[in-house]
Amino acid sequence: MVSSNFPPLDNEGAVAQAAAPSHIQKHPRKNLAWFGLVPFFLFLILFLLIPAISVFTQALHDEDGSFGFSAMREAISGQNLDAFVFSLTFSAGAALVGVILGGLLAYAAATAKRPRWLRNIVSSFSGVAANMGGLPLAFAFLSLLGRQGLGTKILNAFGWDLYAGDFRLGEISGLITVYSYFNIPLMVLVILPAIDGLKTSWREACANLGGNTWTYWRRVGLPILAPSLLGGFLLLFANSFSAYATARQLTDNSKIVPLRISFFLGGDVSIGEDAVGYSLAAWMIILMGVCMGAYWLLRRRSEKWSAS
Amino acid sequence: MNNPRFRQLLGRSVPTLILLASGIFFTFPLIAMARFAFQNLQVIDLGWNNLFDKWSFSSVTASFSDEFFSEALTLSLKLAVGTALFTLGLLIPTAVWVHLRLPKARVFVEFLTILPYVIPAIALVAGIVVVKPHARWFLNSDYSLIPFYVVLALPFTYRSIDAGLRSIDLKVLVEASRSLGSTWLATLFRVIIPNLRAAIISSTFLTVAVVLGEYTISDVLLKRTFPSFMAQYRQSDPRGGYALAIMALIGTTFLFVAIGVLSRSRSTKLQSNSPQLKNEILT
Repeated sequence: MVSSNFPPLDNEGAVAQAAAPSHIQKHPRKNLAWFGLVPFFLFLILFLLIPAISVFTQALHDEDGSFGFSAMREAISGQNLDAFVFSLTFSAGAALVGVILGGLLAYAAATAKRPRWLRNIVSSFSGVAANMGGLPLAFAFLSLLGRQGLGTKILNAFGWDLYAGDFRLGEISGLITVYSYFNIPLMVLVILPAIDGLKTSWREACANLGGNTWTYWRRVGLPILAPSLLGGFLLLFANSFSAYATARQLTDNSKIVPLRISFFLGGDVSIGEDAVGYSLAAWMIILMGVCMGAYWLLRRRSEKWSAS
Repeated sequence: MNNPRFRQLLGRSVPTLILLASGIFFTFPLIAMARFAFQNLQVIDLGWNNLFDKWSFSSVTASFSDEFFSEALTLSLKLAVGTALFTLGLLIPTAVWVHLRLPKARVFVEFLTILPYVIPAIALVAGIVVVKPHARWFLNSDYSLIPFYVVLALPFTYRSIDAGLRSIDLKVLVEASRSLGSTWLATLFRVIIPNLRAAIISSTFLTVAVVLGEYTISDVLLKRTFPSFMAQYRQSDPRGGYALAIMALIGTTFLFVAIGVLSRSRSTKLQSNSPQLKNEILT
């Protein structure tokens, strides 16, 4: 399948640009070029790597102060394990909801012919809402779905008592609802270029070969969107797992790992136990590293089909 | 099910329903927050007959007169300016250098700039707490937050500047400037920076938005920034706290809309990527 308008610009441009200098200037001064990045590296080492490494050095302490893995083990057992399971569950749930609803919303916006401004509104609004974390988001949902919230009252008028079940803003269902507010728009931003990259001719080709809508999505559409969908899931998961500010205002639930870390840092624990707090942070860094690493690889793959 | 008219109807109404439901989900929390902040009426007492009673901005004006309000806002604004300047001073030379001399390091540097996602704010602040006893002279100052805020904004700011550099023919501009006898410094200030205006403005707005919304580090380190003040003020006066949050939200929304407009006018002219906070990392 040769397509004449293969998305070329950025990547190929970069390759051409990158190739040119290596032909021309081949003198030994070239390695000196890395020295230009010293300030940047120094900055990252001082303000990002040293704090990150310190977390690990504190985490890898046994109770007697020697090197060991006991704190790291303790951070994933007992109550701490419960916290990780809870956080993993609601983050995965929030990511899944975000991927599905964000994907549908993006598709609805991309295919809607009228009104014309609709698509722009959806993508501009997503740019704003994807960044709306922190306090304002927590406040908005407290006033909508808190016990005395406006939405709670409206739902009550329709005969649905939200708080009769196990709905709480600080529990899984509530966190998923609140985090959807930034996860759905973030997913729209991830998936919209990929949806734009789906060519009408592919659908026509599929129809010509006797396929129906279902065949098209199963054999063509979804496989092409798969890297973007999976990448979006990882990004949304990492986003939900590491969110602190919103959760802090919604609840004191110490099963949320970032809150748990902050309780340890706040010093409400006995001496010697603080290594566990750092171990929680260390595990979090490891988890985020795996997610973002996989996301990085998937992004390279999904760029292939994206309309840029 | 296979009736073509039914399917057509389905094909039209499903997207409309999705868009409508999304509209409700995304506007209702904001409406509820605004009502709570600006209408002095308990939800229990609210009904159709008093829906428009007792609206006022008294909660905002009351919060303005709190003794710590201006202190916190000033600190956050100073941090925002400091972070923006630090970011530009660090990233423009680095990005220009990468584009001119080390194109092969591009992917590597880009990879480094997403590290703040791997080490989220709560983990970063855990590290700061560890380091603190060894660097009290530095970390006791409120302004020590600046470099860490530079780190938090890095994924967005670097991408914005990188996109700006991609959209101009940097090599030709620099060669022209140099061959006309200009020094490196003059080239940077009189050729490169004026051409990067849009990227510089959007990266500055992104920085300001990040700094004015940052809560994690400032909460754990007990710094009195604007978000910390907001959280604290809510304890004593919930309506005032919510009103402040709305103000902050309007401010940052304005910044993002401005970035959107800036990048759109630039991308129609020069075909570059549009820099916005979160989608920068994706495109």
